[in-house]
Amino acid sequence: MSSRPTASADLAWSLIWIVFGAAVFYGAWTMDRLTALNINPYTAPGLVPGALSIGLIVLGIVLLVRSFRPQRYGGATPMQVATPRLLLALALCLAYGVGLVGRGLPFWLTTALFVFASILVFRWPEHRVNGTLVRGAITALLCAVGTAAGVTVVFQEVFLVRLP
Amino acid sequence: MFDGLAFLGTSLAHFADPITLAYVAAATLLGLLIGALPGLTATMGVALMTTLTLKMQPEIALLVLVCTYVGAIYGGSRSAILLNIPGTPANAAACLDGYQLARQGLAGRAMGISTTGSVLGTLIGIVALALFTPVLGELALKFGAFEFFWLALFGVIISGTLTGDDALKGWLAGFLGLLVACVGQDSIHAYDRFSFGNRDLAGGFQLIPALVGAFGFAEVLSVLSERGARPRIHSFDSYLPRLRDVFQYWRTIIRSGIIGTFIGIVPGVGEDVASWSSYAAAKRASKEADKFGKGSVEGLMAAETGDNACVPGAMIPVLALQVPGSAPAAVLMAAMIIHGVQPGPMIMVNNPQFVYDVVAMMLYATLGILIFGLLLVRPLIKVLQVPREIIMPIVFVLCVIGSFAIAQRLFDVWTMIGFGILGYAMRQYNYPMAPFVLGIVLGDLLDKNLRRGLVLSDGDLTPFVTRPISALLCGICLLAIALNITAFRDGLARGWALLARPSRSK
Repeated sequence: MSSRPTASADLAWSLIWIVFGAAVFYGAWTMDRLTALNINPYTAPGLVPGALSIGLIVLGIVLLVRSFRPQRYGGATPMQVATPRLLLALALCLAYGVGLVGRGLPFWLTTALFVFASILVFRWPEHRVNGTLVRGAITALLCAVGTAAGVTVVFQEVFLVRLP
Repeated sequence: MFDGLAFLGTSLAHFADPITLAYVAAATLLGLLIGALPGLTATMGVALMTTLTLKMQPEIALLVLVCTYVGAIYGGSRSAILLNIPGTPANAAACLDGYQLARQGLAGRAMGISTTGSVLGTLIGIVALALFTPVLGELALKFGAFEFFWLALFGVIISGTLTGDDALKGWLAGFLGLLVACVGQDSIHAYDRFSFGNRDLAGGFQLIPALVGAFGFAEVLSVLSERGARPRIHSFDSYLPRLRDVFQYWRTIIRSGIIGTFIGIVPGVGEDVASWSSYAAAKRASKEADKFGKGSVEGLMAAETGDNACVPGAMIPVLALQVPGSAPAAVLMAAMIIHGVQPGPMIMVNNPQFVYDVVAMMLYATLGILIFGLLLVRPLIKVLQVPREIIMPIVFVLCVIGSFAIAQRLFDVWTMIGFGILGYAMRQYNYPMAPFVLGIVLGDLLDKNLRRGLVLSDGDLTPFVTRPISALLCGICLLAIALNITAFRDGLARGWALLARPSRSK
């Protein structure tokens, strides 16, 4: 993994900051100034977000200008992210956190499924090389059952949290 | 002075019962494990523990969090020494000499030095915490809206300048944090800002789920996206600390302790900067500077003393100003507010005992790291060998349930996930997280005090730059920005060279 982003990445980020800042500024400018309530105009709710968005736009412009001079500010090595593993991690976490939790299935079951699948998938290459797939599956199952039981007992019974 | 000692005595006695000490032991041990495991940071540990301790009595919950914080910063040195992977970002400097010592078969000695440095560093920080919090609290009573506005901006600017390797990105992250804090009802008129008619958004983003996401879920993604090799641990010698090291390097210990504490007091900077600054200062002052990076005992001592001294140091602005000195301290501050403790300038007036409660908590945590640092060397090594692919899914489950447990609403889980993805993306492109977190924490302070200040001055900006403390904070902010502008820096260097030339020719 390299930690130095590219100049083109800085260019893309600078545009994101400028567009986001402009959107916030528009939102702040059009925000109700509560004149009907006869408030002091210096306490208008949009004042601070508006000022901050101007700051964000200015900093974004500086980043934009800087991204055109990479030789001076560095940043030529491209980022290398293990994309398939990242996407897999993201998919599993989103499936659990957004798709399963609180959607009707018992919490302990969704948790056990998530932990089992995650450990199995991410440890799969190592177990395949070592020829220990069955052992890996049993380890994943034990971790899944232990986590589901432990978290359910601790949060539901000890901390009296109504689980999702 | 004597009042302080009486308060401290009361606090120490209050926590000295077997059940409370059991909490100290468990929390310090847990912190040590969190710190030792690469990928689990102190901020993440304190944030997760905040969600676990919601139903506890406030003083016990805060004791657990303080012990977790102290334990985690110390624990990170274990993986730095044994695996050359810093357990927390604060321990990166310890890798340089700690791992070299381990490669020379001196991992035991390195762990002993780390324990000595950490304990002494924390003690130096604790003395400063006890002495300076009341003084700073008294000074803070003179602060008005103008000063608090600058203090909030100062925190974000300084944190942005010092915590990453690119100040511009630090400031962008800080401003984003300040804007995130603007979402939801504004604190003066209760007007819904940027809620788009959504009831959950009208309540704003809760701090703890946002931090659990930015530090916890982002780390889960980061670790799982990398293919990790099975750790290899070198054999090691005796890990008992040596008194000779303390006597030989007492100047380094005191210097690093003072640097670490001071950096802790500066808002939002934190342990990693404290550790690197102490290391750099020790290298400059050392007679054995050539050994640094090749297994220097003095280098490791400086790094470990500095980062641990920063922990109590970071609590000083939390208690006196309600401004966190580091990212884990920001979470601790949020936890205090959740548990009904209001830190800030009035604390020495309304609740002085609490300041000394925190001092006592830190002292017990220090005792904890000393005992566990000596007793649990081999079991900790076993824990270090647990594959991260097993730990991280379990950590994500805790992130989900921990975020949900605060208000029992799914919106907080989605907040955690959203901030996690944002945090991961920002970190991949060198945007530091500390100013972002500080921005979220200080957003409300900045928002309220800018508008109050403008009302008090009837729109006149002069008091923002003419009142003494405001002028000082404003000057430091402008200088921090200017020093990052190449043309200004070059001009300054040329001016300095011109000034220095006549004196050289004499």
